[in-house]
Amino acid sequence: MKLAGQSTVLRLTVLSAPLLAALLAAFAFGPYPLSPAEALAALWAGPSAESDAATVMWQLRLPRILAGLLVGAALSAAGAAYQGMFRNPLVSPDILGVSAGAGLGAALAIYFGLSLAAVQALAFAGGLLAVAAVVFVAGRVRRHDPVLVLVLAGVAVGTLFGAGISLVKVLADPSVQLPSITFWLLGGLNVVSPGDLVLAAPLVAMGLLPMALLRWRVNLLSLSDEEAAALGVNVARLRSTLIVSATLVTAAAVSIAGVVGWIGLVVPHAVRLLVGPEFSRLLPASLLLGGGFLVAADTLARSAAAIELPLGILTALVGAPVFLWLLARPGRGGT
Amino acid sequence: MNVLETRGLAIGYRHRPVGEGIDLTLEADEVLCLLGPNGGGKTTLFRTLLGILPPLAGTARVLGRSLGDWPRAALATRLAYVPQSHAGLFAFTVEEVVLMGRTARLPRFATPSAHDRAVARDCLARLGIDHLAARIYTEISGGERQLALIARALAQEATVLILDEPTASLDFGNQLRVLKEVDALKARGFSILMSTHQPEHALRVADRIALLKAGRMVGQGPRALLTADALAALYGADTAEVAHSLPQLAKA
Amino acid sequence: MNRREYLVALTGLSAVPWTGAMAAVPSILHVFGALPPPDRVRRVFAAGGPAAILTHVLAPDKLLGWPWPLSIEARALLAPLVRNLPMLGRLAGRGSTLPLEKLVALKPDLIVDGGAVDATYLSAAERVWRQTGIPYVLVDGRLAESARQLRETGALLGVAARGEQLARYAEETLSNRCNRAVFPRPGVYLARTADGLETPLAGSVNGECIEAACAVNVARGPGGGLARVSREQVLAWMPDAIVSQYPEFHVLARQDAFWRRLPAVRDGRLLLAPALPFGWLDGPPSINRLLGARWLASRLHDPSARTDWVDFARDFNALFYGHAPTREELMRLPGLT
Repeated sequence: MKLAGQSTVLRLTVLSAPLLAALLAAFAFGPYPLSPAEALAALWAGPSAESDAATVMWQLRLPRILAGLLVGAALSAAGAAYQGMFRNPLVSPDILGVSAGAGLGAALAIYFGLSLAAVQALAFAGGLLAVAAVVFVAGRVRRHDPVLVLVLAGVAVGTLFGAGISLVKVLADPSVQLPSITFWLLGGLNVVSPGDLVLAAPLVAMGLLPMALLRWRVNLLSLSDEEAAALGVNVARLRSTLIVSATLVTAAAVSIAGVVGWIGLVVPHAVRLLVGPEFSRLLPASLLLGGGFLVAADTLARSAAAIELPLGILTALVGAPVFLWLLARPGRGGT
Repeated sequence: MNVLETRGLAIGYRHRPVGEGIDLTLEADEVLCLLGPNGGGKTTLFRTLLGILPPLAGTARVLGRSLGDWPRAALATRLAYVPQSHAGLFAFTVEEVVLMGRTARLPRFATPSAHDRAVARDCLARLGIDHLAARIYTEISGGERQLALIARALAQEATVLILDEPTASLDFGNQLRVLKEVDALKARGFSILMSTHQPEHALRVADRIALLKAGRMVGQGPRALLTADALAALYGADTAEVAHSLPQLAKA
Repeated sequence: MNRREYLVALTGLSAVPWTGAMAAVPSILHVFGALPPPDRVRRVFAAGGPAAILTHVLAPDKLLGWPWPLSIEARALLAPLVRNLPMLGRLAGRGSTLPLEKLVALKPDLIVDGGAVDATYLSAAERVWRQTGIPYVLVDGRLAESARQLRETGALLGVAARGEQLARYAEETLSNRCNRAVFPRPGVYLARTADGLETPLAGSVNGECIEAACAVNVARGPGGGLARVSREQVLAWMPDAIVSQYPEFHVLARQDAFWRRLPAVRDGRLLLAPALPFGWLDGPPSINRLLGARWLASRLHDPSARTDWVDFARDFNALFYGHAPTREELMRLPGLT
């Protein structure tokens, strides 16, 4: 199915349907047993009603659903921007080391026994720091293709921060801190509170805004640098703007959800097959589908078993096979 | 008026100069063909003229204004670049590829308007490929892609075109098509600087010839400059061999 | 400090009883190598947290060092003899932080290890013994076996009388409690980490203190180790009491709207256990939990009892850790203030 040529109404309908289905399922399912009637009644009663059902719907499920939307949309948007910018449909938002940096920040915070807020703050700062290091290193290398240098610097810095995480894990108390670090690295939305959303949502919005405003120009970054420059684009500045935006978006998402892999790779890839690579269509479609996908994955994470299945495991379990299917799919390439 | 002019231009990278002392002039309404062996500096010269590489020395002027004084977007409305037909990576439609040529004329945060789409359609029609508008760029033939890239340059509504080996890796029919378009563009008042590896193409479309070897301009002048001797010296080949392969060359 | 339960939990393995050719079949001790005579055991290397505490309570003068870095606060509550022992690192297969060469250089007469006993850990222990020639004792670390751990390891270390004395305390703690406990047993949720959403599942080593206190661990789920759970799941479990060793969580639970509306918190059964010098409930899962088991049982079943927990902790510290901190020192502990 190719939606690029279809009308906007049809396109929005097709893309919103999975999101709506995911939202319905997310409100309907959870470890606390509620019949659909009870769930509806609780929703209708409003957030201030004094019942367990109201608490479940308004205090527990709603924030997680919002967090799922935010994180899924953020990671997918960042992935869409990076795949175009790095001229590679297999790139994920981690490419410049933001997850490794955030992971090290969080691991250190857990190691030193800091509060939840500090874990999130250090994760966010670690993500920014890793990308800053990559950009700084890449900026010093002038003789090679800047995109290639960024990718290679990202691999190296990611490895470095990854080694830091491993070091902290070795030093951590195995019965107290190590499980927490491991769980954090696997990702999950179970800790997200409304307060976290209030902090993270503006950061994500701040990162998404330049992407949305520059939605046409982002397309030109998928051309070679001289082509884009000859078409009137200040390539270095546009690329920097996009890196800052995508990093902000990703770091904010990772700091509240931990490392949730695959979604930022698979969702934009799949969306491109549906609506084409043009960024002004790719971006909103990625936001819709990414949000829906993560809400669905999180619904599974919290209702499949009594324990939380780590979100990063679920997104990988779903994402990797879908991705392989997309790769092996007969028909045209050139996604 | 000279639309492109370089004086004593040195090109290349800070630690790796590629050429120097380059004097090149492109006059209005003419086609200038740049010939030279691989590695001679053609691509680096183009990159410099497009303002991507800063000149190491000397001056380069576009429409009388020094290259460094042109804001990038403003330059793109005067000077358009047609790269070699490339495979492309993402499945943009041909129309979207051509619309990218409108970028320099769009407000920073805008997407192409109905007017831009009309211009893009018009450019496709002028090259006779309007039927490809909705096709996927990565799925059309190399010749069609080259025409689409020319259409993109037209959509910039620039008057000066730089074409990088526009006939390379095309089959014979498509080569003729592209050369015909170069003729047509010249007739419509474009000034064109193009590189080519095929002297017979230069003879076919060029008003003037420029020969670049090892980063230096070794000849510049009318088509008659292109002799078997000059080509043999340029490419390090045997004169008799060159004359035998290209009987249409002017005799020295 | 038990990497084993953690690794077992993560890989989803359950502890498989070792049925190989072990010398002492009924024993909870698994021995590799020829044990030196008890009176000749002078230098003991503890391979991990549980073993270090076991050795420390039995024969502090023989302990060579701590396998993990003790905090300054923990050291301050310990006897001068062990307070300044070096941090040596642990033996845990690939997770080891102590090179075997350094182990040999320490010239221990014996390596003591404690925790889950399965083929993985038995073979790892055997490998260390074969490579270094140092006899290796792996002690089954379950809380219910505390008395036997103390008695049998005490005999091994040449401190049988001391082992017997502590084993009696363990027996009294673990056997008599449930007789006067009310039924149905209360459901307890053990909250770990600052957010309280990490918990040991029923049957895991890290939650044994709940069963020892004649209560039921509400966290039932696949696997037998630590897990993350959702707030909604906690609400569905509806625990009668919530117990934690994390002051950060204790603060959070009293402020956060979700936790505050849980009956356990609303009705004052949000309990904070001290965690120094070693965790009362867990961390590491060793003899230190005897204190927490008594405390938890009393808080759950006998909430009106006016036990002076500072005094109680002081007595336990004096008996087991050989050092009685001052009341002022103990009063500073979160959970005892």
